[in-house]
Amino acid sequence: MQLSTQIVEEQYSLLEVIYAEMTSLGSSSSSTTEYIVRVPKNTSKKYNIMAFNSGDKVSCSIWTQARMERDMSNRRIYGEEETTEGAAGSEFGKKQREEARRKKYGIVTKEFKVEDQPWILKVNGKAGRRFKGLKKGGITENASYYIFTQSADGAFEAFPVHAWYNFTPQAKHRTLTAEEAEEEWGRRNKVVNHFNIMLQRHLREQERGEEGEEEGEKGGKKKKKKGGRGGDLRIHDSEEDLEMSSDDSEGSMGEDGEDKSKAKKDKGPKGKGKKKKKGSDFEDSDDGDFEGLEVDYMSDESSSEEEEPEKTKPNKGEDVPKGIDEMSDSEEESEEENKNEEDAKEEEEEEDGKKTPVQVEKKKKKDSSGESDSSEDSDIEGEAASALFMVKKRTPPKRGGGRGSAGNSRTGSRPGTPSIDNAATSNTLRAAANKLEQGKRQTVVSSSETPAAKRLKMEPSPQSSSGKSTPQPASGKSTPSSSDVQLTEDAVRRYLIRKPMTTKDLLKKFQTKRTGLSSEQTVNVLAQILKRLNPERKNINDKMHFYLTE
Amino acid sequence: MADKGEVDLTGTKQNTGVWLVKVPKYLSQQWAKATGRGEVGKLRICKNQGKAEVSFTLNEELTTIDGIGDKSSKVRAPREHPFTLQTVGGQTLAVFTENSSGQSDAEASGSVTGTGPDKIALEGVVVQRAECRPAASENYMKLKRLQIEELSKPLRFSQQLEKAVTTNYKPVANHAYNLDYEKRKKEEGKRARADKQQVLDMLFSAFEKHQFYNIKDLVDITKQPVVYLKEILHDIGIYNIKGTHKNTWELKPEYRHYQNEEKSD
Repeated sequence: MQLSTQIVEEQYSLLEVIYAEMTSLGSSSSSTTEYIVRVPKNTSKKYNIMAFNSGDKVSCSIWTQARMERDMSNRRIYGEEETTEGAAGSEFGKKQREEARRKKYGIVTKEFKVEDQPWILKVNGKAGRRFKGLKKGGITENASYYIFTQSADGAFEAFPVHAWYNFTPQAKHRTLTAEEAEEEWGRRNKVVNHFNIMLQRHLREQERGEEGEEEGEKGGKKKKKKGGRGGDLRIHDSEEDLEMSSDDSEGSMGEDGEDKSKAKKDKGPKGKGKKKKKGSDFEDSDDGDFEGLEVDYMSDESSSEEEEPEKTKPNKGEDVPKGIDEMSDSEEESEEENKNEEDAKEEEEEEDGKKTPVQVEKKKKKDSSGESDSSEDSDIEGEAASALFMVKKRTPPKRGGGRGSAGNSRTGSRPGTPSIDNAATSNTLRAAANKLEQGKRQTVVSSSETPAAKRLKMEPSPQSSSGKSTPQPASGKSTPSSSDVQLTEDAVRRYLIRKPMTTKDLLKKFQTKRTGLSSEQTVNVLAQILKRLNPERKNINDKMHFYLTE
Repeated sequence: MADKGEVDLTGTKQNTGVWLVKVPKYLSQQWAKATGRGEVGKLRICKNQGKAEVSFTLNEELTTIDGIGDKSSKVRAPREHPFTLQTVGGQTLAVFTENSSGQSDAEASGSVTGTGPDKIALEGVVVQRAECRPAASENYMKLKRLQIEELSKPLRFSQQLEKAVTTNYKPVANHAYNLDYEKRKKEEGKRARADKQQVLDMLFSAFEKHQFYNIKDLVDITKQPVVYLKEILHDIGIYNIKGTHKNTWELKPEYRHYQNEEKSD
């Protein structure tokens, strides 16, 4: 009650200020002023109300310029479309016949009244806000509204309100179409990271726009990477790549689990923070985590040191790889180059991104975040493998820390051995990581941060990668065209030393796209190499695995 | 057309505050009857220890209401109308005016200052909302009662007639219209077969205008007996039995040369 009176008071005082010239009657407690009310008769101006919702926080005083016009987009619906007049396609007397027919059936088409059309209001030019004003019906039916303004001579003038328009702001950001919205709705239970959704859409469109295969590939990969939550399904797109024979179920489950846990942890503030940090609105997709895990093996990616401390580590495994990665950060760069060429793991754009510091950072991030999620085939493969290697051997990770960790995470996602190992070494790794972090600008990843958390990093990397698709090929990381991955004995040996693999796994490592060989050739060469290496065999899960011991 | 959509923002710049007042229908009707400069009454604002009271007093001459029933003088509009003041709330209500010229579709009022079809100006922002209520009085009650009685009457009603209506239709030997029709027909006479070439010319020119024709329409145009016309049409045209243009004649493809068709005669 009091509040309302206060408000009324204020308004009245405002009025009194405006109407200052009026004399008041005097007594201290009450004052009465009289004004004459006029209803001007001959005005041609029609008064209308422009109503804004309180939540939109619209203040007319800050408008510098405004344009308003009727929205005529409905005109074609009402004005029947005119078919060709005269000559071809027309019939004699068609119009009359149509009219007669409509009358017969009593079809009444509403007239298109310009008066009733909505307004389009544009404030402050192109970059300003846009509003749509819809006419509110029925305001003049039972009562009339009048606008009382005080005129110069102190009298009130009352103008009748002709129409009332409700103005609502129009979104400038892109929204999902109906189909896409349906799709996302169906996935709402699986998708944890909602920030990703628009990003993916953007990438998808980018993809379509780009022509080159590499581009498309990268885009696809990126898409997968960023897919993070939304792309959970997409992550496992190339499921064969993702899964190693024995680790299949583990891996995928692990990844999923990590994804979700990461998502939960990292979503929200982190996501936002990261976004702002990166200046892009990707969200950290879990894919990136994997990439970070890439062990030194995945030389292509720069270490994912940059992973922020935020990276929680659902997988401890990631710590280990990361730390290792970080430690060898400096080496990584150079090594990466080498590795790129030699490595069978394909690094996606991320790896390429390494090219520039930014990219490197991003990659690293990806790596770290890629822990559990990375959906990139190559990433996953490589990273998983590298992670495994890293973990098992505890050798200084060469690869981008991210990579290592990513790889680790990936495999680590298979809850198996890696995690245990990683946990153990986390401390040392962390220390190493910290040191590296300081030393290296690029590497920000704290060892403690598992790649998982760095979805954001993931995104920027893919983004940047996508942006710099050309450099990527140049870096020769994962572009198939540059055939980084060579099917050499050394490469195979490295794989086998790190982890027992089946032939199927090995083949996955040396994808035809990467090596530039046909599948037949790959098989032949691989067979030869295996013969030369003569690895030991072990039966795991009823599958024949090869492995080498140094 | 001068910058049509540009909105004149002077009102908002000056921060003109206006009141939005809801006024009963009868009162606005009375206001419409105002003469001269349009003075309708007086507005009294009292500030009583912090509470403001606003009241509107209708001018004496405007209190007579006519048009309600036959008792025009019996009912008078109440004079006192206290205002109920309300806040605008969070809503931002702005007032904009449209100055329409005679050309624009809906508005018919002449324009005073605007040169283009519509001059849109922002007059101000609403700072206070109010409702004009009539002070409860005998007058008002009577007025309301009359109004309600008026409204409750149904739009249609049945009325008994004393005498049957006999003025509508009378038996007639032959209707006037029929007579005219027969006369016209006699004048026209039977349609004679004109020269085939002439008929063809007529047909071609007709088909230049439209692609599809009904036989009746062609008969009308060419004034030829139907049988003869049909013969000629069979030569140069085809009869569409199915399709969108049902039961219509059109020229044979080789005779057509419309813009969107390639074949020509």
